[in-house]
Formats: sequence, C-alpha cells, structure tokens
Amino acid sequence: MSTPVRASLMITCLADVLYPEVGERIVRLLRGLGVTVEFPAGQTCCGLPLFNSGYHAAAADVARRTVKIFDEAGYVVVPSGSCAWMVKHEYPGLLKAPAARAAAARLAARTYELSQFLVRVLGRRRFRSAVAGRLTYHDSCHLLRGLHEAESPRALLTELGGVELVELPGSDECCGFGGSFAVRLPEVSTAILDKKLANVEATGADCVVACDAGCLMQMRGGLSRRGSRVRALHLAEVLGEPA
Amino acid sequence: MSEPDLATPFRERAGQALDDRFLQEALTIATTKFITLRREAFDAFPQGEALRDQARAIKEATLQRLDHWLEMLIDNVERRGGHVHYATGADEARRIVLDIARRTGARMAVKSKSMATEEIHLNDALEAAGVTPVETDLGEYIIQLAHERPSHIIAPAIHKTKGQVAELFRRELNRDAAPDPEVLTQIARAELRQKFLQADLGITGANFGVAETGTVVLVTNEGNGRMVTSLPRVHVAVMGVEKVIPSMTDLAVFLAILARSATGQKLSVYTSLVNGPRRGGELEGPEEFHLVLLDNGRIRQIAGPLREALSCLRCGACLNVCPVYRQIGGHAYGYTYPGPIGILLTAMLNGPGSVKDLAHASSLCGACVDACPVRIDIPRMLIELRRELDEQRIAPWPERVVFGAFAWLLQRPALYRLSARLGRLLQRPLARNGRIRRLPLFFGSWTRTRDLPPIAARTFHERWAELEREARR
Amino acid sequence: MTTRAEFLHRIRTEMGRAPGLVPSATAPRPTRPRERLEVLRRELSERWRESLERFAVEFERVGGVLHRVGDAEEVPGVVARIAGERRARSVIAWPGATLGVDVTASLVERGLDALAMPEAEVTPAERARLRAVAAAADVGVTGVDLAVAETGTLIVVSGAGRSRSASLLPSCHVAVFDREALLESLEQVGVALEAWHDGDDPTWRGAAINFITGPSRTADIELTLTRGVHGPREVHAVFVERGLDVRRRV
Ligand code: SF4
Repeated sequence: MSTPVRASLMITCLADVLYPEVGERIVRLLRGLGVTVEFPAGQTCCGLPLFNSGYHAAAADVARRTVKIFDEAGYVVVPSGSCAWMVKHEYPGLLKAPAARAAAARLAARTYELSQFLVRVLGRRRFRSAVAGRLTYHDSCHLLRGLHEAESPRALLTELGGVELVELPGSDECCGFGGSFAVRLPEVSTAILDKKLANVEATGADCVVACDAGCLMQMRGGLSRRGSRVRALHLAEVLGEPA
Repeated sequence: MSEPDLATPFRERAGQALDDRFLQEALTIATTKFITLRREAFDAFPQGEALRDQARAIKEATLQRLDHWLEMLIDNVERRGGHVHYATGADEARRIVLDIARRTGARMAVKSKSMATEEIHLNDALEAAGVTPVETDLGEYIIQLAHERPSHIIAPAIHKTKGQVAELFRRELNRDAAPDPEVLTQIARAELRQKFLQADLGITGANFGVAETGTVVLVTNEGNGRMVTSLPRVHVAVMGVEKVIPSMTDLAVFLAILARSATGQKLSVYTSLVNGPRRGGELEGPEEFHLVLLDNGRIRQIAGPLREALSCLRCGACLNVCPVYRQIGGHAYGYTYPGPIGILLTAMLNGPGSVKDLAHASSLCGACVDACPVRIDIPRMLIELRRELDEQRIAPWPERVVFGAFAWLLQRPALYRLSARLGRLLQRPLARNGRIRRLPLFFGSWTRTRDLPPIAARTFHERWAELEREARR
Repeated sequence: MTTRAEFLHRIRTEMGRAPGLVPSATAPRPTRPRERLEVLRRELSERWRESLERFAVEFERVGGVLHRVGDAEEVPGVVARIAGERRARSVIAWPGATLGVDVTASLVERGLDALAMPEAEVTPAERARLRAVAAAADVGVTGVDLAVAETGTLIVVSGAGRSRSASLLPSCHVAVFDREALLESLEQVGVALEAWHDGDDPTWRGAAINFITGPSRTADIELTLTRGVHGPREVHAVFVERGLDVRRRV
C-alpha cells in the first residue's frame, strides 16, 4: 500500500456505552490491516432515534454537529448498519443550507459500515476466526434494505477459517428492535424477537453474528433472558487476525 | 377472536392478538405462504423488476396530470352510457349509492370485494335504508356473517378456522356442514348463486380505471366480480380517484405485477374490463352503470406527505412481510386498512391524530418497501407522520420531554459522557453477572422480557486514550 | 352534492401545491395500434406452434384442460364427451356465427339438451328466461378472442351472440379457439386492447372483456385451494388446428 488509508471510527452511542469492546476490536483490526485509525472527539449519537421518532429539527442539529466533527476525517467506519444508513441516507436531506448539505453529502460518500469498509474499500475478506463452532448471520434491516448490503458480511464469514457458516432461515426478517419501537410496543417487539431466536436456535449455531449494535442488544437481551447457550456477536468480535 | 374496538388502547389490542394462539398460528401460516408464493413468482419472472419500476413511474406520471386523466375517464365513461358521481367524503359517497338504490327500487345488493366500500362503511348504510347488502367474496361473506371486519386486504378471513366457519354456517345459514373447505365453499356457492340472481344492485370497487377507454377493471379469483357486473340491473363502482391509469398499455404493466405480488399467480383468475352498461344484443349486463369517484382524504395528499401512498394497488404484499402485522394480524390495527400501508391510509382518511399510536406500530424494517410492487416507501411516510404528530403536539408530552432532553444532551459531549458515568452509578444495585434483569419506569418495558447489558465499566470514549498509546508503541 | 367542476378544481389546486416532482412517464403506447396488431399477428402466425405449446403448459398449470382437434367438425364430439363424462345433460353455447362452428344441433342429435344463445336483441322477459336456463346449465361453450401463452389466459369479449353467462354460470366451461387467437404475452395483450379501443366500437361488441385464467378458485378458508366458488369449476379449451369459421373476429 502506498499511502496509508486513514479512517475515523464513528463509535455510535450504543457501542460506546454498552459494547466498547466492539470498538476496541475494530480499532485493532483496522490497524492490523495498516489503516491509521482516528477517533474524532466530541462524538455522541448519529441522531437516528430522534429522526425515526419524528424529531427532525433535533436530528438536523445532531447531523450538523456530526458532519462538522467528521469533516476532516478520511473514511468513516461505523459498526452499525443503521447509523451508517442515517449518515449516508438522511443527513444530506436533513440539512437545508447548501454548504452544510454539500458537506453532509461528502461525509455520506466516505462513510461505510464495517463489513463494507473491509470488503469494498480495503478488499480484505480473509481473516482467522476469533471464535469456534458454527456461525449464522442475521441481516440487519438497515444494512440489508437501507444500504443494500447482503454480500460483504457473508463474504467475510464464508472465508473465515475454522468455522462453519449456516444460513439463517428468515435471516432478512427484522429482529424486532426498531429503536424506540422495542419499548413502545415491547410485547410485539419480543414476539418478533422470539421468532428470530427460534430460527437461530433451529440452525444449531453456536453464535449469531450481526452488524448492528441495536440488533445485538435485542438478540443478546433475549438469549440471555432465556438462558440460551447461543451467543450474539458483532462481526468485529468474530474476525481475528488477517489471514 | 372477537374484534377489539377502538376504545381499547392499541397496545392492548395488540396484546390480545398476541395471546390468541390460533390467530398466531393462522398468521404465520398465511403470511409465510404468501411470502413464498410471491418470491417464487418474481424469481421466475426476470422482467418483473423493470416492470415494477415502470408501474411506479406510471402511477407518478398519472398523478402529475391527475385532473387530465380523470376528465378523460369521466368523458369516456359518459360516452359509453355510464354516469359519474363525485364524492368528497364517506357520507357523500354513501348518499350517492343510497340514492341510486332508492331510485332504482333496489332491495338487495350483491357486492364484490372492495376496500373502498369498506372504507366508507357502505353496508351499514344500505342496511339502514332497507337494502340488504350481500358480500360475495367468500372471505368477505364469512366475515359479514360473523359481523367482523376483514383482517387482511386480500384474504379477509384468514383469522378463521374451517371449524369456526362451519359453526358460523350452522348458526347463520342453518346448514350443517363438515369443517371441510371444499364442502363449505360449495354451500357458499349455492347460497350466493341465489343472491346473484335475485339482486337488483351490483356494487364493486375498481382496481383500475382506464382513462383512454373509460373502462373499470376488476380483478378477482372467484368470479364474483363478473357476477356482480353482469347479472344485476344496476352496477355501481366506487373508485378512489388515485385508481385512474391512462391506457390499456399501462394496464398490461400493472396486471403483470399485481397478482404476482398478491398471491404469486401470473394473473388472477378473472380480470374483468367493464365498459359501461349492457349494449344492444347482449344478454347480460346492467341497464345502468354508475362510477362513484371517491376523494375521502386522497385529494389533499396530492400535495401532502402521504402522496406516495396514492400509488398503492392494494395487493397486500406489504402486510405479509411486515413483522408487526405477522404478529398482530389485521384487527388489532382497528381500522378498515390494516398493516403498514393501512396506517398510512388510515391517516389519509381520518387525519394524523387517528394514528398517534399506530404510527409507531412499525420497527421501520423496510421489508414492505422491498415487497411492494410499486416500491412505496412506507417507513419514510411513517416517520413523516411521527413528525407531524410531534410538531402538532399530538404525541404525548412525556415522550416529547424525553426526546427533548436526549436531543439536548447529544449537543453537549461533555455532559453526554458524564451521563454514562452517572448511569453507571445508578445501575449498580441492578446489574448482576453482567446483565440487568429489571429496571424501573419505562425502561421496564425492555427488561420485562429481555436482559439489558449494563453500561460498560469503561466506555469506548474512556478507552480511547489507551488505544492511542497502544498505536504509538 | 359535489359537482364535477368543484371536484376537479380541488384536484387542480392540490396539484398546483405539490412540490418538486420527479419526471415520470406513462407506458409508451403504439401510435397506430390496429396496424401494430396486424403486424404482430402476422409475425405470430409464423410461430403459432411455439405459442400453443407454451399456452398448453401454462393453461394446464392454472388448472385448465387442453384438447386438440384437427377440424371444427370434431368440436361437438369433444363437448359431448366432456358432458358425458360429467353426466351432464344441459349445454348452452354461443351460436355458430360467433363460435366458428355450430355445436348445438350436433349435441342435440347426441341426446343432449343443448341451446344456442341468441345473436339478436331479445325482450327483457326472454333475457330473464335465458338467464335461468344458463344458471341451470351444466356446460357452457364459448369462443375465445385471445389465448395468452405467457399466462394460460383466455380472453373473451362479450357482445351479440357472445353470452357472458356461458363462461360463468355453468360449472364446466368449454372454450373453443384456433391459432388466430394465440398471443405470446401480456404486453401483446396491451397492444390488442389498444387496437380494440381505437375508434368507435363495432355495434355487435358488448361492454365486457373478460380474462379467464383457469377455473374459479378461492383460498379464503384456511388457505385451502378450492375450485368453483362462483364461476366454473372446470375450464376446458379446445384447440382447432385447421381453424374455425368465426364470422366476426374482434
Ligand atoms: S403499499 Fe404496496 S405492497 Fe402494500 S398493498 Fe399497496 S401496493 Fe401492495
């Protein structure tokens, strides 16, 4: 590689506070691939919860801030498909002033969800597995239908040495998280989750992998409550050393 | 399951549906089957994707000249001897149909399945005016006998077992029958055959209205659409204004994707193109044909946030794939139109206030957009509705306070980080073995069924300095 | 009462308020649809065998039964056989002029109770009587204006001597067609529909065009597929290889 690739991590609120180890792994993973990783100060949340609940003025304020914070960044890597979607898909529309909108569009063009960054930008798809056993993959809604990305995570998981990947029936079906939906209609959210977890368990997998902190929170929450032996892991947690 | 009414809060209505074991099973079987059929149909139809795009473009182009196409439709219907009526609201639409019924001395009306007539609650009005309305789509017939509402746009009675239907027929028709769909269907055939032959009035909706030719198009599988438009003396079609399409060439595009999306068929069994009343030499066909053009909240959405929903073909595909619909079924929504598109149509008909809970009955997973033959972005419009609810302060104040505080915090990174620490202190008595099993207040909504991870001992922000040092080494 | 003017005025007002719209187009229509259809028909006549094979597959897939005969004279025999197998007695049929072959006389000779529906306008009382006959009939025989290979669909135009009931009320529908009716695709159906509606309708043409894709069906009770809920339980199509003598083609 001639000039080293520069990437900023957008940690996102859930990963920052609940799953910081995911962030750590991403940093080490990217560094192992020769990427210079930066972490712009002052980040909070991408504003998706505000946006989805209809608080668009507030979401626009957050967007404006975030665009500014990442203005100097090279690539921007996000551990959640939903937050990446927010930045790529909604930021430019939220900001009305031409300069801000242009800056948002620039940010959108440089922003990638982790698996996309690895496969589509860095062209790296071979890693050793950091876990053992049988894996299955859950497509998170925003990554799959928002960013139309089904291949990159699967490419990475298929090439993983030492583990078996099984397709999850209904892998494209929602896990029932949906942000505030999960607490507004907890019974419905849980019923959807139960279906998802039943599918996961039916595969006999030891571990379900996802690329979104929201889905992980939901699936882990359910698995842990039912005392399941299955683990829900972020993609970054199963990718080991580059192979 | 008895239908919950709107006095019951939505969350409770949904809860009742979740507790209904039969409904749960029926929903899973039905929606899974529809999903599979639809997927197979499009897998075997490579040009389908391009046709979907084209269909969407046609809808949009039509909307951009809606006045033009409607005028053409009206002129052509009248040229072919039909009468056109204009209904601003549901009450006006009912009045128009009742007037026709009265003037023609109708005593019985046979109806082919139509969401538009459900939407205007026509049956009650007919009954009150002494005209017996008979639903003739088998599913609609069943739910009419049971005094219920359809629970699915295209499969109105999927919530009923054959046993329940047999029981219903015994009670309402005095017919003893085995709980066998074949037998039950034959009973309904015999009953309804009499009605078709007796009825004075045939009432339908319209899947499409073709402007260039003045044609009303009806799509059915059972043949009731043909009966209703051929046998009674008078035919009234109630059509939402957005159903107009320019030409027969456009119709061919829509037909290619409609049934595939709804039931996975290449075409439904019957597509009937109705060009007005009976003509000289014809044995069948009504003496009078009336087209009722229905606004009922549609027109103001031409420039409104729900404009895209005016492209809906009512195929039901978005219901089948919606994780929420799949769990709670149609009745819990509480209005004529269930499912994700139903929330938008309800808001269109009754204003955003009517969906203040329903607007949140979606995880915004986007499965509907993928399934929709005309790719209507339902989640985007749900978010728009939520925005309207917030801006018009229809959303409850505690919610607005919580989101306001959250937004405020996100602008203040130092405080934001501090709040993580604060949370860590507060959670101390609650976290056990790396998980939180019970939380107070609205957080309890989460922990009643799911564990929550505690706030990490050190957040990523707090780890970054170290990670930076690590890089320098 | 809302008037046409008020109604359209409201629509125009809202259209004027609609913000930035994406340029969109309706489907491009053939400029001379009748000529286009003629050309299409000529092209199709070269490959009618392929169309027929495709039609056969699709028609059977939707639950239809296809019969093939060489000459039009064989049609009554097929109808009689179908009726016989179902122990059916009464048959209603389109008259020879619209069907392209006279079936009733021959069916009556074979001991069936067959009636040709009239071609000319009849009194309301007679219409009511004929409707009752049709409702009681076991088999209905009609012609076919288009047979669509892609979907296995029969398209039937109503009109004088083209009774709608014959393909609707009896529980068994027998449709008779030849190669001239064959089209390949729905897209071509679009062309035909454009051509049919180009200019004034011929006086014999009725008000209904029906697409029939297999027997009447429902899945409204527990998603169990059941045939013959309102329309026919069975649909047969008889292909006449050497053609029918239909007086007025659509
Ligand atoms: S929104 Fe789309 S998928 Fe849903 S009923 Fe309408 S056309 Fe079908």
